Amino acid sequence: MRRSAFAAYHPFVNFVYFAAVLAFCMLWMHPVFQAISLLGAVVNAVLLNGRRAIRFQLRFMLPLFVIMAAANPMFSHAGVTILFYMKDGNPVTLESILYGAAASAMYVTVIVWFSCYNAVMTSDKFMYLFGRIMPALSLIFAMVLRFVPRYMHQLKVISDAQACIGRDYRQGGWIRRARNGIRMLSIMTTWALENAIETADSMKSRGYGLPNRTSFSIFRFDRRDRRLSACMAGLLLVLVLGAASGANAIRYFPSVHVQAMTAFSVLVYAAYLTLCLLPALIQTWEDWKWKSIRSRN
Amino acid sequence: MEIYTIKELNFAFPGQDKAALANINLTIEEGEFVAICGQSGCGKSTLLRQLKTILTPHGRRSGTVAYRGLPLEEADRRTQAADIGFVLQQPDNGIVTDKVWHELAFGLESLGCDQRTIRLRVAETASFFGIQNWFHKPVSELSGGQKQLLNLASVMAMQPSVLILDEPTSQLDPIAAADFLASVGKINRELGTTVILTEHRLEEALPLADRVIVLDQGTMIVNDSPREASAKLAAMQHAMIAAMPTPVQVYSAVERGGERQVPIPLTVKEGRQWLDRMKGDSVGGLMMESDERDGSVLDPYASNFATGSARRAAIWNSILNRKSDAAKADSAAVAFRDVWFKYEREGPDVIKDLSFEVKKGQFCCIVGGNGTGKSTALSLISGLLQPYRGKVTINGRNPAAARASELFTNGLGVLPQNPQSLFVKKTVGLDLREMLSDTKLTTEHKRAKLDAVIRFAELESLLGKHPYDLSGGEQQRAALAKVLLLEPRILLLDEPTKGLDGFFKAKLGRYLERLNADGVTILLVSHDIEFCARYGQIGAMFFDGAIISSDYVKPFFAGNGFYTTAANRMARHRWPNAVTAEDVIARCSSKSR
Repeated sequence: MRRSAFAAYHPFVNFVYFAAVLAFCMLWMHPVFQAISLLGAVVNAVLLNGRRAIRFQLRFMLPLFVIMAAANPMFSHAGVTILFYMKDGNPVTLESILYGAAASAMYVTVIVWFSCYNAVMTSDKFMYLFGRIMPALSLIFAMVLRFVPRYMHQLKVISDAQACIGRDYRQGGWIRRARNGIRMLSIMTTWALENAIETADSMKSRGYGLPNRTSFSIFRFDRRDRRLSACMAGLLLVLVLGAASGANAIRYFPSVHVQAMTAFSVLVYAAYLTLCLLPALIQTWEDWKWKSIRSRN
Repeated sequence: MEIYTIKELNFAFPGQDKAALANINLTIEEGEFVAICGQSGCGKSTLLRQLKTILTPHGRRSGTVAYRGLPLEEADRRTQAADIGFVLQQPDNGIVTDKVWHELAFGLESLGCDQRTIRLRVAETASFFGIQNWFHKPVSELSGGQKQLLNLASVMAMQPSVLILDEPTSQLDPIAAADFLASVGKINRELGTTVILTEHRLEEALPLADRVIVLDQGTMIVNDSPREASAKLAAMQHAMIAAMPTPVQVYSAVERGGERQVPIPLTVKEGRQWLDRMKGDSVGGLMMESDERDGSVLDPYASNFATGSARRAAIWNSILNRKSDAAKADSAAVAFRDVWFKYEREGPDVIKDLSFEVKKGQFCCIVGGNGTGKSTALSLISGLLQPYRGKVTINGRNPAAARASELFTNGLGVLPQNPQSLFVKKTVGLDLREMLSDTKLTTEHKRAKLDAVIRFAELESLLGKHPYDLSGGEQQRAALAKVLLLEPRILLLDEPTKGLDGFFKAKLGRYLERLNADGVTILLVSHDIEFCARYGQIGAMFFDGAIISSDYVKPFFAGNGFYTTAANRMARHRWPNAVTAEDVIARCSSKSR
């Protein structure tokens, strides 16, 4: 995975961005909006995850889309434009075909957006954001993230040691395996408690439990983050106005209806396109800047 | 100004009559580096824990501990948290969070510092300790040495005026331990932080210390400068001499009874100078001559006879005599033939073209740095891992294909690096009995076997204890007993001396010698050159996934330049074949007077 320019922004900016994009993607089923959102999701996923993302989308997302889009008209028969009748006498309508395509497109788009979210919002960013609301929780989270790999490691150490005296959970008949396994789990509990005492000492010794604990993070909300936030706020404002005017909405049943395209709705489309492609734009801009700096030297 | 003043301190754990600390009187000056030593269970850790209220265990206590002139209890928690830094023994247990940067900030977060302060302090600390390169890493990816350095740094980020360390290097390999102690020395030297350290690896710590305190069964027997303390211990002929640096050991044995003319040597350099002064001349050319008089140059293996017991010598003889027919494949207990191994398909080779044999009845020690593949080689022998090319055989069979019950009963015994990982029961006694639960022996027979093993490992008083409550040395003994119940003919040991003090090491060495004399083949992997030189028969050096050289231990270590014992480094300009402290002592005594 290559370094993402967007991921280098403050976690707050990252989080607000994904929250907005995901919400809009689910709310607005207008075909233009859907196309824009899908385009943005795919472009960003490819930029973030490279060839793996392309493979994932072709192998899983495309079949998923086709199956879901095909399934809807077979089970939903609402709509006024009847195309033909199935063998069992149920009608297949244009509206339900279109709605099925739109719903599955939305579904796929959300999944692709989430793959971008996972690449950008790492656990420490998430923890930082929610740690500010609940500092104790964020510490517990950090301790769990420390404890789990440690526990797994120790389990392996004990399992290996037991294997060398013929008492591992992988050796012997199944009753024996179960007995060995239970024995190992019980000693692991002892081990965890035993070591927790010393960790508690280490925490107390460094003043844990004193009032007015603060929460430190390595993230800084700088001017760059402020600029991007302002830019995003502007785009969001346009989009919300668009939603209020009804330009983003579509009605599928009983018949398909969208508002006529106006100058304003084109502005809203443009704003949505900019928003969805924002990480890609930032990436391209930074790549270009980097190249131009390098070539100047 | 005194930072700690301890008066008439007595302490006993609840329910125990015997005092853990008795009548301790001690003052520690600001900026001092104090090393506290003593055998396991002498009260070192108990004493350290009296110096920070929140870590003090429950028990009966009398006397006073004053911090900066006031009773310690009067210093509030916030002051103590910031001012008194405490680093624990187990690197893993000290670390609380999952990321290096977060761990560095942990103490400052507790103190309620603001972002700006924390950012600065964390940055400073990381730079001072050279952590910036792994600042963003998750803790689970760090090595043991890095973890302990992180513990130290995260305490130092709070800018304490006293730093207390409880055997901080016992779980580290020698290189990491030396680096760690060098960092502690740097803190003391460059920041003026008072350091109070308990340690059993005194070779490195002693030259750093301003003062050495020796505890024996809860009382303070020596409290003096390193040189004076060593001299006093030497005069007392105290058992703790065995834990002192080699030059001190040699000096104290050679100068026994005689009055001291020169300051006692603490480092290898001083030891060499002392030897030269004692011998009157330091001309390198005389080296061979002196060795010839010694007779050892004619027979490089003779030095083994000089120090070993008669029994050891006899085994040695038989091995030497067997040398000619040793080439026969059937006498190999463990054999590697062109073995290659890697953990991942795309990963680097960990074992590269390793060909090596351990003959039946040998006591073989493999030494080498971290990450060279030593432990991996052991896992290949025990069948936990399989080579992707080449062959590993145990008594001519492939361990990975053998059934566990066949391989590990009357065959292969493995003592893992962490002996604790062998225990699964509530008491040592139950743990040992469990080993025999599957055998078809009669009750009396089992009883007899258990008794024999318990007597051998001297576990009589420990049977009722929880295995996790034992000290490091006791755990090692109990683990050895557990493995011995399977009556192994080949014993593999991974870093058996890790965390053991000199006293327990000597004990372990004697056990291994006895087992070896009974015909058990022993293969141990260790960083502990001193131990290998003292007890092993064959030495082999592991480097870059293969064994670079192997030979009988004395010529093996005598031939190495850096990777050899302190005794050899100290005396090799006179006696190139003197490898252990005993060798040097024997040579000094035979010719000095």
